[in-house]
Amino acid sequence: MKKLFTARHLKMRAGGAKCAVALARGFGARLIVLSVIMVGLIPISWPGYSQRDPNARCLLECHANPGFKREVAPGQFRALFVDYEQFKASVHGEKLCVDCHTDVTVIPHQRRPEQIHCLQCHYQGNVVGAPVSERPEKYKESVHGKAFERGDPNAPDCKNCHTVHSVRAHTDPLSPVYRVNIPKTCASCHVEIYTDYLEGVHGQALRNNVLESAVCSDCHREHDLFPPDDPRSSLHPQNVANTCARCHTDVSIMERRGVPVKQVEAFKKSFHGIAIEFGILKSAHCISCHEYHKILSSRDPRSPIHPLNLAQTCGQCHPNASSNVARGRFHIIPSDPDAGIVFWVYEFYRWLIIVMTSFFVLYIVLDLYGRWRHARRRPHG
Amino acid sequence: MADSEEQLTRELQRELEQELERPLDDAELRRIKELVRAQIEKELHAKSRAAKEKPQEAEEYFVRFSMNFCLQHLVLAIGVILLTITGLPIKFHDSAWAEFIFRHIWSLEVNRIIHRVGASLLMLVSVWHIGWLMTHAGRRELRELLPRVKDFWDFIAHVKFMLGLSPERPKFGRYSYSEKFEYWALVWGTAVMVISGLMLWFHRIALAYFPKYIFDVALQAHSGEALLAILALVTWHMYHAHFNPDVFPMNMTIFTGKISKKRMMEEHPLEYEQLIALSPPAPLPSEGEGGGVRGVG
Repeated sequence: MKKLFTARHLKMRAGGAKCAVALARGFGARLIVLSVIMVGLIPISWPGYSQRDPNARCLLECHANPGFKREVAPGQFRALFVDYEQFKASVHGEKLCVDCHTDVTVIPHQRRPEQIHCLQCHYQGNVVGAPVSERPEKYKESVHGKAFERGDPNAPDCKNCHTVHSVRAHTDPLSPVYRVNIPKTCASCHVEIYTDYLEGVHGQALRNNVLESAVCSDCHREHDLFPPDDPRSSLHPQNVANTCARCHTDVSIMERRGVPVKQVEAFKKSFHGIAIEFGILKSAHCISCHEYHKILSSRDPRSPIHPLNLAQTCGQCHPNASSNVARGRFHIIPSDPDAGIVFWVYEFYRWLIIVMTSFFVLYIVLDLYGRWRHARRRPHG
Repeated sequence: MADSEEQLTRELQRELEQELERPLDDAELRRIKELVRAQIEKELHAKSRAAKEKPQEAEEYFVRFSMNFCLQHLVLAIGVILLTITGLPIKFHDSAWAEFIFRHIWSLEVNRIIHRVGASLLMLVSVWHIGWLMTHAGRRELRELLPRVKDFWDFIAHVKFMLGLSPERPKFGRYSYSEKFEYWALVWGTAVMVISGLMLWFHRIALAYFPKYIFDVALQAHSGEALLAILALVTWHMYHAHFNPDVFPMNMTIFTGKISKKRMMEEHPLEYEQLIALSPPAPLPSEGEGGGVRGVG
């Protein structure tokens, strides 16, 4: 991992003989003067690739040199080194440099290659077999994509999460988008949320190597990450319960941690759930009471759902709420014996309804039978 | 008609001649004839109009319920219908029809308002009814409505009659066992619905004074009692008031207050006998506006 992260922030290396190659860049030549600094000649035993590798030319001449960089502004350098070992281990290891850098037709290239975008291969229906199962094109409409489009310098692009040349599969523990690494990857920008997350039950579980614990993308999604007021968002008030339900109704995940699985179903049956479903968005949903990044157990005195804090939590919407709100079970399903006294009220009415309705129907049938019987008898009698 | 006209004319002529002590001349006779014809036509016209306007007047009926009582039922019925059509989609919010109602007919917000209008009508009629029960008329109705041992035996006897084990229908008083049962079921149901409903309506206040589990019990009782009440209405009440062959398609007594003598004798024979014994012989129905009416009060 460490290696990977440092690869994203390559340090410039000094020393060695310098060889500056200035590339003219069409009409922008005046603005950007590239000074490429190379470290000596190519060492005799160059590791990582053979002379027969189709990518050898790119590497041989320039990009295999760890000191290969250009000055983007006075005193500021941009590394142009490609760690070819990492590249060969990546999902794109079999690709050629020019498969992505399609505008490079002559090596060495005369102009600075254009920015490439992953979507040039990863689109629905591509013929090169680039996987699109996670709908990468949705990135363009996401908060990150929109910010990037606006020109926000902090907005992340594909490479900020996936790295550039060392892209690995999300199943690879060395990938920054491997489950366990996702919080850290997001934390490279959202560091405060990361510390909250680590304190919460999900962060704690992840630290205890519970791989199925929720990470950022489980709730926020990865590419189709919308703000919560967008109806497409996984965290829109009407979608929150379903988002939590993806894990919290899964017995195989919850059983091991001793977490009940009927909470979401009970919520949907409650007034809050019905109100949300039919458009009263101010109604409470999961995170109104449970908080979000720093979700804590009800046994934790800091938790908003700790019995001592419930009056305050409910009080956010119901100003008169007192400690009475803690006297009773939450997330009850009336037909479930766990509901306690509510279950008995449910059972009482269930049987009363069955018995009384049967009696009514039987009585009516009997009365009609009696009328028919007497109507038939009368003419004879 | 022509005979009576001539006869009347001749009578008038004779009377006038006796009074004046001289024979009438032609002009006078013609005038008498005209007056008599006009008078007879007027009477005939009035008779036919009266016959057209009140054809059932000939049928003898009794006043079973006062206007006050009928109005109570009307307000109750409107309230219950509003509560039912807005309550059921909340109870069955998972169903496709509830979703259709909330997405295409009225929103949940509107549903909530209609439900509370219905609830207000139900509470209004409850207070009204309790107030009315304290009046002289109300107290007498309450006495009639109290369950008695006879009601139980009436029920057994009625079932026997239906099964053909007994040839006679039991004789009911002012309220049969089935009417009493429905009345007390309504009283019980309204009490449960109003108390639990008020807790849900004013949940902010309720949450301050009651533990959450009481609130949950109120919600469950509201839901269960509502379904029970609706099922009782669509079976027991619909059958007795609409679908049974005696009154099909609808028993209008609760809206007009009137019950025919025939149904009175069949359905409430004891009350009928009591009334006949108490009241003086009834005048003939043709003798006036209220001729056929036997007041219960």
